[in-house]
Parts: sequence; C-alpha cells; structure tokens
Amino acid sequence: MAQLDVLNPVAQPVRHSVAPARRRSDLRDATIGLYSNMKAGGSDALDRTEELLRERFPGATFKRYHGSVGFLMRHCTAEDSDRIAREVQAVVGTTAD
Amino acid sequence: MVELERRGIPTVFFTARTFVHDALRSAASFGLSGLPIAVVPMPLTNQRPQDIHVMVEGAIEQVVAGLTQPVEAVPENHDLPAADERLSYTGEDLLAAWDVMQAEFLGRGWGDGFPLVAPTRRAVDAMLAGTRRAAGDVIATLEPGFGLATVEKLAINAVMAGCQPPHLPFLIAAVQCLAEPKMYLRNKAMSTGPHAPVVIVNGPRGRAARFSGGMCALGPGAPSVSNTVLGRARRLTMMNVGHTYVGVSDMDTIGSPLKYACCCAENEPESPWAPYHATRGFRREDSTVTVHFAYGLCELHDFKSTTPEGLVGVFATAATNVAQVGTGLWLLGRRADPRYKTTEQEHNTMLICPEHAQVFAREGWGRERIQEAMYRAARMPFRTLMLNKERPAMAASHPELGWMWDHPDLPVPIVEDPGCFEIVVVGGAAGRGAYFYGAGAPVTKLVED
Repeated sequence: MAQLDVLNPVAQPVRHSVAPARRRSDLRDATIGLYSNMKAGGSDALDRTEELLRERFPGATFKRYHGSVGFLMRHCTAEDSDRIAREVQAVVGTTAD
Repeated sequence: MVELERRGIPTVFFTARTFVHDALRSAASFGLSGLPIAVVPMPLTNQRPQDIHVMVEGAIEQVVAGLTQPVEAVPENHDLPAADERLSYTGEDLLAAWDVMQAEFLGRGWGDGFPLVAPTRRAVDAMLAGTRRAAGDVIATLEPGFGLATVEKLAINAVMAGCQPPHLPFLIAAVQCLAEPKMYLRNKAMSTGPHAPVVIVNGPRGRAARFSGGMCALGPGAPSVSNTVLGRARRLTMMNVGHTYVGVSDMDTIGSPLKYACCCAENEPESPWAPYHATRGFRREDSTVTVHFAYGLCELHDFKSTTPEGLVGVFATAATNVAQVGTGLWLLGRRADPRYKTTEQEHNTMLICPEHAQVFAREGWGRERIQEAMYRAARMPFRTLMLNKERPAMAASHPELGWMWDHPDLPVPIVEDPGCFEIVVVGGAAGRGAYFYGAGAPVTKLVED
C-alpha cells in the first residue's frame, strides 16, 4: 500500500458573530418594515405580505424600504439600516431569490 | 438583514427553496447562523403577481414565526472546512492513492472537475520558493466566506492548478485584485449571473513567466499553458480560499466555461500603443495583473474593414446586445458595496487583435479615440435597453432621466461614459478579437516578489 500526504487547500474563515434581535411575541400595533432590493417580483410579495400581516396583527402599520445604493439590486448602507432600525420594530425582506 | 438584527430589529426574509443553503451560509458568514427565512418554492423573478401571492400565502406562517419566535443558532455543517491541515490517502500504489484524493477533493467541492495536481508538502514548498513572502503572510480575507488567504493556501491551490513557482506572484496579485473593496467580490462570486474573472497580465515579468498574448492566448494549448494554469489557480482560490462553492455560495444559474480559467497577457510587442497597464497608472516597466469580471464574450471578427470607422461599426454590434445584463445597466445606477461605500461603472473589455490595432494606429487612432467612437456608435433605443430592466429601479437611481420614457426611440449609450470600454491588444495574426461583456470595473495590482 502507498500513502499520499497532501495539504488541505481550504482556508480557515474569519468568524463573525452577531446576536439575533429579541423577538416580541405579538406584533399588534407594531410598525413593520417591508424591504425589497428592487428585483422583479419583490414588491408583489411585500404587497401580499402586508395584507396578510394586517389581518393577523390589528393596528400594525407598514413602511416600505429599499436600499439607497446599487443598480439591479439596491442595498442598504449603514445609514439606511440605522434609519430603518429607528422607524420600525420588525422587518420582512425580499431579495426575490 | 443581519445588519438590522445587529441593531435589535427582528427580521425574516423570503428565500426560494433553491437558495436556502446559500442564504443560511451567507448569514452564518456574516455572523448570524439561523437567521429566520420564509421559504417559497420559486424565485420571485419572472413570476406573475398572482403566483407570487400564492407563494407568500404558503409562507406567511414562517414569516410570523420568524418575527415572533426566538432565533436559535444552527450548528455548523459539513460544508465548512476540515480542521486538519494534512490529509492522507492510501491505495495500491501512489497513482491509486491519487485517485482516492481526486475523488474526495471533487466530492467535497474542492476541485473544478478536472484532475488536480497533488499538493504535497514538497510541491507546495517548491511553489513557495516563487515568492519572498512568508508562507503565513495573509494576503487578504477573501469573500464571500471570509477565508484567510495566506501565501501557503494560495501556493497549495496554485500547485493543484498546475502552476509553476514563477506563477505564484501573479496569483498573489490576482487575489489582491479580487480582495480590493471596489471589486465587490461578494456580489460577483455569489450571484446568479455567470461572473467570470478575466485575468490580464502585463509587463516584463509576465513575458519571463511565459504568459502569452499571441495566438490562441485565451487557450487552450501549449502556447497558453501559463495563462491556463494561472486562470485555473484563480478559480480554485476563489473556491477554496474565498469559499465560493457552487450551490452553496455561488448561485450561478447556468455557469460559464470562462470560470474555469480565463487569462491572457497583452501582446505588448505587437501593440502600437502604450501597454494597457500604463493607461491604469502604472509604469511601462512594471508588471501587473488586472482582473475584470465578465459575463461572457463575443468575437470581434472583421476581415473586410480597412478603416477605424469600419471596425468601430462592426464592434458596436457586439456591444449592443440587451440580453447581456450590463448593456445599458447604468440606467439603473451603479454596482455598489454599501459596506465600503464603493461604486463601479459597468465596463466592457475589448481584446483587439494586432491587425485591427494597426488599422486604428495607421489613421492615428489611440485608445481614447476608439473609446469615444464606441461610445457614440454603441447606442440602442431607450425602449430596447429597458426591455429587461425594472422601471422603479431606474426611478430610484436616475429620477432626473424620467423624461426618457416620453422618447422611447431615443438612442442611448450602452455604457455610462467612453472610459467604460477597456482596450487591450491580444491575439495572433488575422482580424479576430474578442469583446467581454463586463461586470463592474477592472482592478489592477502590481506583481511583486
């Protein structure tokens, strides 16, 4: 028997860690953000999402967002994220993929 | 979504079933494994509104759960790299052991489908002799997986690709190009589009390392061996160092043969103009690597034209192809990485063969005049450019251009400005070049020891 020893080609990744946000059990009267990156179909999905969440959570209000930079896909800057975080209590997003 | 979670906002996002793995892996790379998703059967693109509504209705309970139930981290899965740095394979003889290695590497997704050279300690040490850098030096952290691109990891992948030690500094420079923030590698590596890096070598070191800018420079064959192995090493590095794995973090819907290896040198000896890298801020005597992502290529064939105007007229027909995503894409804005506040114009790279270059030069045309002529000739009716683009996206990026909708037949340039045509002299005898439909802008780096 012969043995071939080789080196692992795969790089170790730099690890990042973000704690998930605390959830609230009830979104009644909450302001919910609806975020689309503006790819085709995203706004249709958010339209129906808003209708269904409005039925589920009376008093909820909704705000639409897309990122302030980009082209086919529009992305959020840090400032966009700060603004959204100030204005809503939860976000439903779509990238259409 | 991860950035909103970081700010204390619960999120959930719709994800097509095909993209679940990609979405979870991406969220984990950004630090939040287990980010809630609401799975829908299909991507939303190309779907009728009523079909999208049905998909949303089927996923709404996941939306509610994602926003209201605690998030639990998902354990790391088998796709993450093995911790062992050394791997052993056995067989009846070394060739049989090598077969076992091939099967395992391909099975793990560490190969491109072709046989790999075994990265033994001895071969990697020989490769490392191609640079003065230490094996442990970190060249970059390569997205999308944030892999640490140490010189040794690059050398391992260079060995696997068939590179020789003189090629390693070129791979290092190519990785530096990929890692440049304005390259926005994450976007190009993970996209559903067939983004393939085109690698262009310039300068005396390239000629010494036998990179070819002549006949069949893009391969295959003996004259372009250096081109092929550097291009291949770049791909393997994107996979094994950047963790750009198909179906995991590379969601290319159709793929591209250009992704295996796409590399050439400029044919500087037969170019009538200054070397390409000299137009990008480098000295003529410098050696450089340029990386420009491209979606595909089209031949620039013209045996007939004897004037610059004639050639431009033909070349412009290649550029005016709205099925290529970059054509007129500037109408929707610019590719932008919000993390680094970078923006890119959409460039296209033209490999002009020496004979065509001489036709231009004979009439006193340089690169800038060709760029200007292409900018004027490569125009399409506004309505045609917008056939596959979202009107709201244009309104968001260019509200000042809303008047164009009242002029649907207006000829509109396919790129934002003349400088978006990159011009490199490449190829052998006969009037045939190539037009790369680009994705974003090229990046050039110096080749250093």
